[in-house]
Amino acid sequence: MQLNTSASVISFTKQLEADSSSFYEKMAERYPQGAELFLAFAKENNKYSTIIQRAYYGVITDAIEGCFAFSVETDKYIFEKEPTRELSYTAALNQAIDMEKKLISFYTDAAEQSKAFMADVPRTFLIVAKKRNNREDKLRALLKEA
Amino acid sequence: MAVLEEPIKGIVEVKNYIDGEWVESEGEIQDVANPVNGKVVARVPISTKEEIDTAVEAAKAAFPDWRSTPPVARARSLFLLKELLEENFEELSRVQTVEHGKTIDESRGETRRGIENVEVACGIPTLMQGYNSEDIASGIDEYLIPTPLGVFGIIGPFNFPFMIPLWSAPYAVATGNCVIIKPSSEVPLSQMKIAELVDEAGFPPGVWNVVNGGRTVVNGMLDHPDIEGITFVGSTPTAKDVIYPRCGATGKRVIAQGGASNFMVIMPDCNLRATIPALMTSFFGNAGQRCLAGQNVIVVGDDDHFYKEFINGVVDTTKKIVIGNGLDEEVQMGPVRDIEKKKKILSYIDSGIKEGAKITLDGRSNFKIKGDYPDTCFLGPTIMENVKPEMKIVTEEIFGPTMGIIRVKTLDEAIKICDDNPFHNADAIFTSNGKTAREFKYRIRSGNVGINIGIVAPMAFFPFSGMRDSFFGILHTQGKEAIRFFTESKVVIERWP
Repeated sequence: MQLNTSASVISFTKQLEADSSSFYEKMAERYPQGAELFLAFAKENNKYSTIIQRAYYGVITDAIEGCFAFSVETDKYIFEKEPTRELSYTAALNQAIDMEKKLISFYTDAAEQSKAFMADVPRTFLIVAKKRNNREDKLRALLKEA
Repeated sequence: MAVLEEPIKGIVEVKNYIDGEWVESEGEIQDVANPVNGKVVARVPISTKEEIDTAVEAAKAAFPDWRSTPPVARARSLFLLKELLEENFEELSRVQTVEHGKTIDESRGETRRGIENVEVACGIPTLMQGYNSEDIASGIDEYLIPTPLGVFGIIGPFNFPFMIPLWSAPYAVATGNCVIIKPSSEVPLSQMKIAELVDEAGFPPGVWNVVNGGRTVVNGMLDHPDIEGITFVGSTPTAKDVIYPRCGATGKRVIAQGGASNFMVIMPDCNLRATIPALMTSFFGNAGQRCLAGQNVIVVGDDDHFYKEFINGVVDTTKKIVIGNGLDEEVQMGPVRDIEKKKKILSYIDSGIKEGAKITLDGRSNFKIKGDYPDTCFLGPTIMENVKPEMKIVTEEIFGPTMGIIRVKTLDEAIKICDDNPFHNADAIFTSNGKTAREFKYRIRSGNVGINIGIVAPMAFFPFSGMRDSFFGILHTQGKEAIRFFTESKVVIERWP
């Protein structure tokens, strides 16, 4: 599905963050060795959702291209809401890394598409992408330890 | 993505808000229909002369106490109102979509812009300060005190039901005046919602009043000796032939903002990737129903390759515009407000064709509506080429989702076309050349000038400008000019022998 309006993209980010939260909550249930970090990630997702919403509601005006700022193909960024059943810990970590890569790619693409139109929104997307880069590093560190 | 929940359940019986009370009107009642599906969402009274008189009396009675309320205290009431508007942001936005038809992004944008005016007015303790000179002669000092005048009338249009009365009302009450707002009877719900929050914020009775209606209310305001001034946003004929002269005749201050026929000048060196989305918003945002909308593009230069690339880019993007219910988050363009407005837009397209314009994209019938809605108030975007400056689709305001395309060889010709047009609300240029942009900015006689901006909407701390047939008056709404408009300069010269 292609999304063009700011409203639909912001709702999509909300959904992605909620799905990513569910993913990490399940990770925490199934793999107690990483539970602390996974739950922290799940909590952080809510924060990302909030800062994106705040940026959008703060800058949306009738004068910018709110309905024409994006061209997001959602299928590229969809991921499983929970880790595949009966995966090993390392395989589940790899699945989490893949999810983070998709999310980083989504936020980077969305920021690039909207940078001329949406003021603080693309900047916030890049902040979230950067945070998720750090998260990917942490997941890789867990993978090394496993 | 979801179709958002409707904010209104059932049919709202709109009342007047006078002297801090919700009052039923004795006037005739009219239905307010959602343009998306024709469903009646409200019933609005067309108030009587006696009712506007009662509101003026209430506002006049409230004025002495409100005027002597310290500006910091008045600002606190506005801060409270701002907080309440923020808390109700989403509901207020959805109400606009239901009563007007605009998309949810557009409604949220309108809500934000309206609130920004309340925020600016919160700075009244410093915004309203006067100035002084010590020792203008030996032992004599002189100073200026901006003082409020009394009661002001605010007449709103249908296209921005929430925001436009807020270009005036927060400044009027911040400076110590009392207001009577007359929303467009086509879209009365947003102002009713704001009045509910005004009431909750605890403004004293009579400071902020809303009287619904039509001509009788407008005439009642224009003729009333106790109304000091009027702000109006609407069509040029009404601004020019009714509001402005009648205010002059009755000695009222006036801000009368009229219509527009704006030009977007496209230079061959513009960045098309950024320009095309800006044009989409400019021409088709709010279904073209705004006085800052682009009505015609002027493509400069004889580079046929660029022209073809430009047209193809614009047409391809326009064809993909998703039309439907504004509460559907994927929708990029909603319906026009009602069938009469649709008929008027169609008549302009027909007139363009008769005068020789070529239809490149026909929005009269060649469009799809997302969802199961009747096409009663819907129109697709229309693009017309071979447009000439003397055609009616250039010299008159269409107020719909149409784009005319004019070709000229030089920037001089483009500026001349802009200058020869009777309206001068907003014109913009799209270029990557600073010298060209400067030349345009310097020479163009337009109230709001855009450089690589399709909707030149001044922020709340700048005046909403406009010139010639787009504006009648001297001072403008918003920001410092609004503060000046709503106050008289009292000059004191003082000596203590």
